[in-house]
Amino acid sequence: MTEIPTPRTASSPERVNFFATATAQRMLAFASLIIMLIMFSVLSPNFMQTNNMIAILQAASINGVLAIAVTLIIITGGIDLSVGTMMTFCAVICAIVLTNLGMPLWTGVVAAILTGAVAGFISGTFVARMMIPPFIATLGMMMILRGLSLISTGARPIYFNNTPGFDQIARGSLVGKVFPALPLPNGVLILFAVALAVSFILNRTVLGRYTYALGSNEEAMRLSGVNTAAWKTAIYTLAGGIVGIAGLLIASRLNSAQPALGMGYELEAIAAVVIGGTSLSGGRGTILGSLIGALIIAVLANGLRVLSVAQEWQIVAMGLIIIAAVYADQLRRQKTG
Amino acid sequence: MLNRRSLMASAVALAVASSAGIASAQETTIPLISKGFQHQFWQAVRTGAEQAGEEFGVRIDFVGPDNESQVDRQIDMLAAALANNPPAIGFAALDSQAAIPLLRQAQDAGIHVVAFDSGVDSDIPVTTATTNNVAAAALAADKMAELLGGTGKVAVVAHDQVSATGVDRRDGFVNRLAEAHPDIEVVTIQYGGGDHLQSTEITKAILTANPDLGGMFGTNEGSAIGIVNGVRESGTDGLIVIGYDSGAAQQDAIRDGLMAGAITQNPVGIGYETVRAALAAMNGEELDEIIDTGFFWYDASNIDEEHIQAVLYD
Amino acid sequence: MTPLIEMQGIEKRFPGVYALRNVNFDLYPGEVHALMGENGAGKSTLMKVLSGVYLRDGGHVRIAGEEVDFTNPRAAQDAGIGIIHQELSLMNDLSVAQNIFVGREPRRMGFIIDDRQMMRDAAALFAQMNVALDPERLVQGMSIAKQQMVEIAKALSHDTRVLVMDEPTAALNEREIDELFRIIGQLRAAGKGIIYISHKMDEIRRISDRVTVMRDGQTIGTRATAETSLDEIISMMVGRALTQEEAQIPDLSAAPVALEVRNLTRGREIRDVSFTLRKGEILGFAGLMGAGRTEVARAIFGADPVERGEVFVHGTRKRIRTPVDAVRAGIGYLSEDRKHYGLALPMSVRDNIALTSFDKFQRLGGLLDEGAMAKVAKDSIRTLDIRTPSDAQEVRLLSGGNQQKIVIAKWLLRDCEVLIFDEPTRGIDVGAKSEIYRLLNSLAAEGRAIIVISSELPEILRLSHRIAVMCEGRLTGFLPGGRATQEQIMALATQTDRSIVSPAEQESA
Repeated sequence: MTEIPTPRTASSPERVNFFATATAQRMLAFASLIIMLIMFSVLSPNFMQTNNMIAILQAASINGVLAIAVTLIIITGGIDLSVGTMMTFCAVICAIVLTNLGMPLWTGVVAAILTGAVAGFISGTFVARMMIPPFIATLGMMMILRGLSLISTGARPIYFNNTPGFDQIARGSLVGKVFPALPLPNGVLILFAVALAVSFILNRTVLGRYTYALGSNEEAMRLSGVNTAAWKTAIYTLAGGIVGIAGLLIASRLNSAQPALGMGYELEAIAAVVIGGTSLSGGRGTILGSLIGALIIAVLANGLRVLSVAQEWQIVAMGLIIIAAVYADQLRRQKTG
Repeated sequence: MLNRRSLMASAVALAVASSAGIASAQETTIPLISKGFQHQFWQAVRTGAEQAGEEFGVRIDFVGPDNESQVDRQIDMLAAALANNPPAIGFAALDSQAAIPLLRQAQDAGIHVVAFDSGVDSDIPVTTATTNNVAAAALAADKMAELLGGTGKVAVVAHDQVSATGVDRRDGFVNRLAEAHPDIEVVTIQYGGGDHLQSTEITKAILTANPDLGGMFGTNEGSAIGIVNGVRESGTDGLIVIGYDSGAAQQDAIRDGLMAGAITQNPVGIGYETVRAALAAMNGEELDEIIDTGFFWYDASNIDEEHIQAVLYD
Repeated sequence: MTPLIEMQGIEKRFPGVYALRNVNFDLYPGEVHALMGENGAGKSTLMKVLSGVYLRDGGHVRIAGEEVDFTNPRAAQDAGIGIIHQELSLMNDLSVAQNIFVGREPRRMGFIIDDRQMMRDAAALFAQMNVALDPERLVQGMSIAKQQMVEIAKALSHDTRVLVMDEPTAALNEREIDELFRIIGQLRAAGKGIIYISHKMDEIRRISDRVTVMRDGQTIGTRATAETSLDEIISMMVGRALTQEEAQIPDLSAAPVALEVRNLTRGREIRDVSFTLRKGEILGFAGLMGAGRTEVARAIFGADPVERGEVFVHGTRKRIRTPVDAVRAGIGYLSEDRKHYGLALPMSVRDNIALTSFDKFQRLGGLLDEGAMAKVAKDSIRTLDIRTPSDAQEVRLLSGGNQQKIVIAKWLLRDCEVLIFDEPTRGIDVGAKSEIYRLLNSLAAEGRAIIVISSELPEILRLSHRIAVMCEGRLTGFLPGGRATQEQIMALATQTDRSIVSPAEQESA
């Protein structure tokens, strides 16, 4: 055995390897995004304006945050259908705390994130401890939360008129104060901050590594003596907290909690995740990918509208893009094995 | 692979863009951001807007979110429309508060905003082209009372409890009954989201719970058709059904006698007036605060009359 | 005579690796040609080139004298090459006949499946093979041996001239192996060519006419089996001579008891199992497939529930309901199925080793100390001689032996006092096997208590200090290591309910 030389390469292959696979995936999506931007700029002189770019980023911000939450769940090999209505429910609780109870601004922020975390914890408990398949558990949560949103508001929107400054969370612009030429809304900054933070958690912490491990081989983890149920619940709780941030963003952007909103948002978030190269079978995926996925969706929607393409065709285009993105990824995987 | 994927994405977008036709730079385009897209009502508004567009030589770009709860999506659409810096826009706000920052931006850019269908709580719109929903629903209440002989139980299937139209029509109907026809009792008000199927199920449940029900009122096309379906499926006879809006299914139900009659708005008129008002504003004309586009009662007796047929849509 | 298959100078490159280099192989009608080599030697790659799964980068393939160039598996199948993979690929919910004719069902009027014709065809195939199998029964619940027969029948139904069998006896007992060899003999007599891939020396001697040994992607040589000694084949495979070591039985009478299991029971799978295990002892668990050995191990480990029974570690009673409890009590379990229950295949070597011991690498705020993880992983790679280009390599790309070493490395890191190895050398080649044996011995010498479950009697005999034998969920007896014989073990392993009264009853009687 020992006579056979082990093929260890001289350079440091682990670094090369790690970044090579990860970046290839992101590069694909990123290149598509750039090409789309160029294409729309050529087709319409009105597309590439500061205001419109900001509008695109703002349109991507809520879906982007939701996509980040869903990415976590999908990497564990699960799926989350409840993020749309969970977001709404978080916004509603925030509104009740601020408007109905008249509490100070920061309590609303805490309430929204906490509500999401608790809802995520409950989803996680259904999935990890009660062994309900994620699709079913989160489908149930989707309906439960939608119902609760309608009940707790009497099905009427709650406005944040008593909380001056609440709309500044998403709509205000700290960047604009420093660089008046670039009024980037805070909502976009929050999206990037969440993306950075969750990327860090995924790549550098125990929780992150277990997220991938659960998606790779949950049973092996369990048989290695890892408390898989606890970790999985923790991941769902984290995802819920992130959804709470999305709830804050949409409440602030609309300056109201709209209890009827939220259905269908989960599918768009899943679409962003998938376009970003995350595998629905779990075990692999990146936050940057999902972020780019959300941007691709926003750019496509905005670009086609600026070009005044009929709305029916916009929907068709979105469907085709999703299929094309995943197919291209499949081709690439077959090549590299 | 990198090129393959990108090319594919670009090709798809290009193909869609070119096949659907891109606005030429010279033509004036007026975007109309509606509350919905799939509903026949909104398609009728679109028809009216496009009629006006043809008549006055402008291009109409009509968009709207998939359903009437997607407030943020509508705002994204508004933002995209403003990117083209049009001379005027038409806007039917799902939630007027949420849209105000963008509308102010439009105002600052010298874009004339015409509100349609429901108002915007601000002085930004130059005018609002709309139906007086409260008065229209009150007419439905009067007709219901007349058909029931002034006494009985009724139920309401509403399309939603959030938007101004939903609230106005529900309250217009219920309040008018309370004021003018106190012997008629509203036993329940339920919400089906304007969805045919959901409204059907709701209707059947209401009929099961209230076998002595005398009449039902549906506050929009989807709700009304849902009631008709529910009545048909449960085999109930003799119920007075009053609908709202138009559409082929409702017209058939009236002709078949399943529905006593309905209130129709004038969606084609709303679309037409919105565009006309936008052009007037561009020419610096003064406009009234509200353009009442009107409503009508129609039933088996008058459905084929010319002035009714003109405001009905399939 | 023209060879059925002639492969000359086959080359195959993967990014950065020479998988096959100047490989030569031929096969004559009526011949069983064994293909041997350690895992990673290139046997599977060569077979994939032959069957059109991989395109070769150089060399010639001739079938019955004609140059061929398969671009897909279907083309190879049409040319009469059939492969029975080690992991059987039958569909559990379909019947035997449906499995055999899947995709080629006899039809009436172009779209109605003619079930009766299909059953007749399947029955005819079984008659030809001289085996008794019901074409109508579902594959679900059939033994591995029977499933293999179905695979062979499926291959024959394609008019196969060349049958490739990859480790066909890995999960068979002696009787089933005899049956398989009978069928192979029958096929040989019918003029078919058989390529037989195996690690088991005795089988190679029994069944093959010639043997070709591969190492590091090259053919080392081809010999007539009858004229070649086992030692020669082994030294061709590993590149050096290998000594067969006898088990060294230490005196453990003074060693403290590390694990005691009392009255473990669950239905008919585990019936009143009690035993003790001393520090430094290797206790072998022998028995036929389905005797309940894995069930006992999983029950002790908390992976499956039990109805009754107590587990003591170092004299203290432990309540073990989940694997988490077991690990806390110092018990580790290495599953027989590494891929499904042992490893996160798409993740790196480093992650797999560290994954279950993250508490050791966790810094403030749940941050991972990658540096420390890399160091530990590199230490394991060195001490266990794991052959991988780096600790960042994805585990799925490594060979079975190296994957097993990673699982072991993972458990060593957890400092478990009691380690249960379930089939530790399944799918591992000879050279790596003796390394694993050495490793187990040194772990025992360090004072760890070890249970080894194995279906290979020579392995049990070679490793165990003491042998526990199971049959039908019961412990039928213990044998001393070193002196026990295969016959003694088999006698205990076949003590079915009908043939004996249980040892418990014997004691109480």
